[in-house]
Amino acid sequence: MQAIRDIDFVAPPGEVTALIGPNGSGKTTLLLMMASLLAPDLGTIRVAGFDPVTQPAEVRSRIGWMPDTLGVWESLTAFEVLKTVGALYGMSAADSARRADELLVTVHLTEFGRQPARVLSRGQQQRLSLARALIHDPQVLLLDEPASGLDPGSRVELRSLLRSLAAAGKTVVVSSHVLSELDEIADRAVFVSRGRSVKSQTLDEAGSQARRYYVQAEPMTALAAALQSYGVRFEKRGDSRREEFLVQLGSTAEASWLLRTLVLADVVITAFAPAGGALEETYMSLDTDRL
Amino acid sequence: MSTVTEPSTPQPVHSSTRLPFRSAVRTVFSLEMRQRLRGKGWYWMLAIWFVVIAFIFVLGTAFLATTDNEGGILFDLVVGFVLLFGLLVAPGLSANAVNGDRAGGTLAILQVTLLTPGQLLFGKWLASWVGSLAFLVLSSPFILWALALGGVDAAEALVSLLMLAVELGVVCAIGVGVSALANRPLFSIVSTYMLVALLAVGTVIVFGLSTTLVMEERTVRSSYYTYPESSLDSMGVPDPEAEAVCQSQTYTAELPDTQYIAWILAANPFVVVADAVPYKIPDVPATVPGPGGTGSFYSPGVMETVSQGVRSAQAGPDLDVTCEESMLGRQPLPQGVPIWPLGLGLQLLLAGALLLMARRRLTMPARRLAQGTRIA
Repeated sequence: MQAIRDIDFVAPPGEVTALIGPNGSGKTTLLLMMASLLAPDLGTIRVAGFDPVTQPAEVRSRIGWMPDTLGVWESLTAFEVLKTVGALYGMSAADSARRADELLVTVHLTEFGRQPARVLSRGQQQRLSLARALIHDPQVLLLDEPASGLDPGSRVELRSLLRSLAAAGKTVVVSSHVLSELDEIADRAVFVSRGRSVKSQTLDEAGSQARRYYVQAEPMTALAAALQSYGVRFEKRGDSRREEFLVQLGSTAEASWLLRTLVLADVVITAFAPAGGALEETYMSLDTDRL
Repeated sequence: MSTVTEPSTPQPVHSSTRLPFRSAVRTVFSLEMRQRLRGKGWYWMLAIWFVVIAFIFVLGTAFLATTDNEGGILFDLVVGFVLLFGLLVAPGLSANAVNGDRAGGTLAILQVTLLTPGQLLFGKWLASWVGSLAFLVLSSPFILWALALGGVDAAEALVSLLMLAVELGVVCAIGVGVSALANRPLFSIVSTYMLVALLAVGTVIVFGLSTTLVMEERTVRSSYYTYPESSLDSMGVPDPEAEAVCQSQTYTAELPDTQYIAWILAANPFVVVADAVPYKIPDVPATVPGPGGTGSFYSPGVMETVSQGVRSAQAGPDLDVTCEESMLGRQPLPQGVPIWPLGLGLQLLLAGALLLMARRRLTMPARRLAQGTRIA
């Protein structure tokens, strides 16, 4: 089974790099390779400057890896989990205990710190897993679907945590397929499909590309007539509960022109907004195989 | 991945990427022990163990109360049972050590730390060994009780316990090794039981079957005391004044030269323990010389019987039964060449080979993954 064929990307320090791709596209496998758990047949990987195949210990001391599967020692408390992993990174008992307490505060698990990990909910285990990846203050963070299972509040906190880590000069690599989230977290995105990196772009590039807007008006017939008279192509959006039109617009300037023109033409616009995030646009435009 | 520019690799700046062996093993050990002590399964096993040993001990005491060597036989019985149950318990404690973690998703988390496969395996082995030693400790009241009855000296008791501990350690090492090689806990536990069965039962079966390979036609001289023809009256009753004389007969028979195949038995855990124990050989005098003379019988315990069996296999067939031998009945054999170092060596070789393969299997990054497996 060949999970990765040809992936080429650079994740610079101080930025959050998103790995985006459908299920089974090779994101997890790529992260396993970067985490020094799997060796590539061909090609080179450098993590924090070290080769995970020949210098795994150097890489391991510098990365924090958060797997997509939740491995939890059920009978251990959250604090013990963090302290144990700290010890396995060569931290002294006092250091790892102090750091464990700090991280429990960071991921809001202080009140669960002394309870066995089995009582934690999925989202809480996910936060514990993140804290575990951060215990030795790694230079590079490899996070596999970190936001899955998190409630909206925790997602906002994850976002600000990742931004602050990047601001502190860490390299953050996040894999996800929840695109709306990555819009706000990531500085750049690598699109992966069938084991290949199909596109790599920064969020600024993604924002300035052609994207779709949905428009609602009261009544819709007036909107249809107006759009037709300007020669703007539109389609009825079928996957929404409300009736709305989708228009493809080349830039934000074009969008503001259309909105102004419609309002001036006395069409009663009730909604006018981008149909999806910038990354979602890229993702859809790549027309990758969705499983 | 394109390899246009080969990135340079910086030299490691500090040496903190190596965990000291002892602290790494201590961390893994305490991780394992904490989980074991907080679960219920281990305590249940200990409780059942205690009840079963107590039951057998009480039964043995009642049954053997009339024997003159009660202490020795009871001690042997407890050692034999602790070994038997230990061989049953140790795979359960050790054979899911690694793949249990793999199934739980925690193995990969350990593997991305600075922990080396050797440290991980050693820590897991130590934890399962200490876990099985608890069973030995729990049987100590019965061992002490048997010792209190007398007939067993300190050296014999000490060596017995030591060898039991060593055998549990060997089985735990086999279990931990298999658990890293097999993907599923159930499969590795069953495989470990099979390997233990191979040692404990398989060696005996192979030995038994191999006797046919070393069958040799031999002339055996068998001597016995009898009364000369002249001293018998018409009814065939010997004259009370007559002296028994030694007579010999020779016959040919197919006999196995077991001395050539005795080594097969060496790897048997029961043989290793029984052979290593320096028990005293009792004097079994022939009280009444003459036919039908009654001596006190040699009645060894379980482990002593095993040891005697091995010694007689090592000695091979007796081709010349003298009159004295025929008088004395079954005589205990003294130790010739100790066979347990060979057996323990074979066992350690097996365990060591499994652990080496396990270490290779756990060394990351992995080049190839077995079909249908995921690292995390």
